[in-house]
Amino acid sequence: MATYYLKTPLSEQDVTQLKLGDVVYITGDAFTCRSRLHRWVLDENHPLPEAGKQRDLLIHVGPIVLREDGGFKLVSFMPTSSIRFEKWGARAVDEWGLRMIIGKTTMGEETMAMMQKKKCVHVSPQCVSPNSWVQNINITDVELFDELGTIEATWHMTVDKLGPFVVDIDCYGNNLYKNHEHEVDEAREKALEKLGIGTDFEYTKLY
Amino acid sequence: MISKKIYQEAIFNAIKKGSTVISPDVAAAFERAIGKESRPAAKEGLQKTLDSIRLSAKLGNPACPDTGWPIFYFKIGNECQLEGGMMALEEATRNAVRRATKEGFLRATMKHPLTGYDPGDNIGENVPNFTYQFVPGADLEVTYVAKGGGSECFGGTRHRVVAFADGIKGIEKFVIDSFVEATRSGGICPPNVLGIGIGGTANIAANLAKEAACLRTVGSHNPDPQFRKIEEDLYEALNSLGVGIMGIGGDTSVLGVNVEYAYTHIAGICVAISSNCMVARRGSFRVCADGTIQEMTSPDWFVGR
Repeated sequence: MATYYLKTPLSEQDVTQLKLGDVVYITGDAFTCRSRLHRWVLDENHPLPEAGKQRDLLIHVGPIVLREDGGFKLVSFMPTSSIRFEKWGARAVDEWGLRMIIGKTTMGEETMAMMQKKKCVHVSPQCVSPNSWVQNINITDVELFDELGTIEATWHMTVDKLGPFVVDIDCYGNNLYKNHEHEVDEAREKALEKLGIGTDFEYTKLY
Repeated sequence: MISKKIYQEAIFNAIKKGSTVISPDVAAAFERAIGKESRPAAKEGLQKTLDSIRLSAKLGNPACPDTGWPIFYFKIGNECQLEGGMMALEEATRNAVRRATKEGFLRATMKHPLTGYDPGDNIGENVPNFTYQFVPGADLEVTYVAKGGGSECFGGTRHRVVAFADGIKGIEKFVIDSFVEATRSGGICPPNVLGIGIGGTANIAANLAKEAACLRTVGSHNPDPQFRKIEEDLYEALNSLGVGIMGIGGDTSVLGVNVEYAYTHIAGICVAISSNCMVARRGSFRVCADGTIQEMTSPDWFVGR
């Protein structure tokens, strides 16, 4: 497993070299998006905010931001779960020209297939360390603040060596967590057996 | 008579403390997990998380931006006198939540379930949520819990009715299978404090599970040896799964397993689980009858159960 320091805009080569489990730190320009913005653009047919047109690094996050002295102060930042945007994932990768998504958890089969086709990766935090991240992020602007509110608005972020994030979906249709599932499932059988619950155990059906 | 200004301040203190400073028992559980972790990536993840948590305490910012559902537990002395009466307690809590959101200790996270309307202050129908216990004495104790969306929305809270024919085996299988599903790709931000409620109606079991997860200190045990054994057996079983921090693989999958129970119907045993966030956040303060505000390291919710 290697460690990479990447800069936006990301080239095809930048992301195709990444393997599952590699660690990534990233520098450059990003934009943020949650459910409401996905819906706004992909279901309600509003135009994609400018940040999305210009940037290829998307962060699934709802930061805490305070307005101070005419500017913005980032108080806390932790990527949110990507899996719940699966319904929009493939279209976002395709239509928004993404190269990398930072988000908690992972994404599903459809998005993975589009990532393979369009050369895009998903990376995931291996910790909950908002304070180390806040120091690496500068908020430069916001779009749709009035329409969608603080959390769901599109924040423009300039990030400096933001990480570490683990590559959990590569450009080749592989998923780190899917691989890890097998290890956990084997351990689960052993754990159940130790508690005297065999593989033949069936619940009495009540409904 | 405790003035409204005083108890509102205590409630605000509980929110501020709960959001920004991790309790000593949770911090100690992190230290233990770091000490025994054999996988470098997991060890690094745990250490970075603890470092960030400690920095939040210094900086006074939220330990996790998802400050979640604001949930309040009150222990009210039978002789407790509050200015404005008991109904003023909820208004004071709403005021404290509003202020904490405005000052950045809470993220404006609560929204209308259908329209998505965001009031911007975490106040809406049935939010914040209140649970009361009446106890001897004249004091008021408040515990604030930040119940994050990760641990709540991705399978970490659920229930099932198990037949008496399936007994403890059925209960334990449900807990282990549910936990495995909920930690796939790190959905509920493991390692978690896992609360389990056994017995009662579905909502009773779910409330007990939530209280076991969020109000019991890590390392405490149910005083009944039968339930303590379930806690210990499940703690060992769940930590043998290799789920690890954020589901990337590691030696610690749960920080603690806490079981609470209620008598149940002869027809079945409801079992519920509730996962607390890895960054388990709560803040407890006591307001004495004379108006003195004291910080508490534990909610002492189950004292005298």
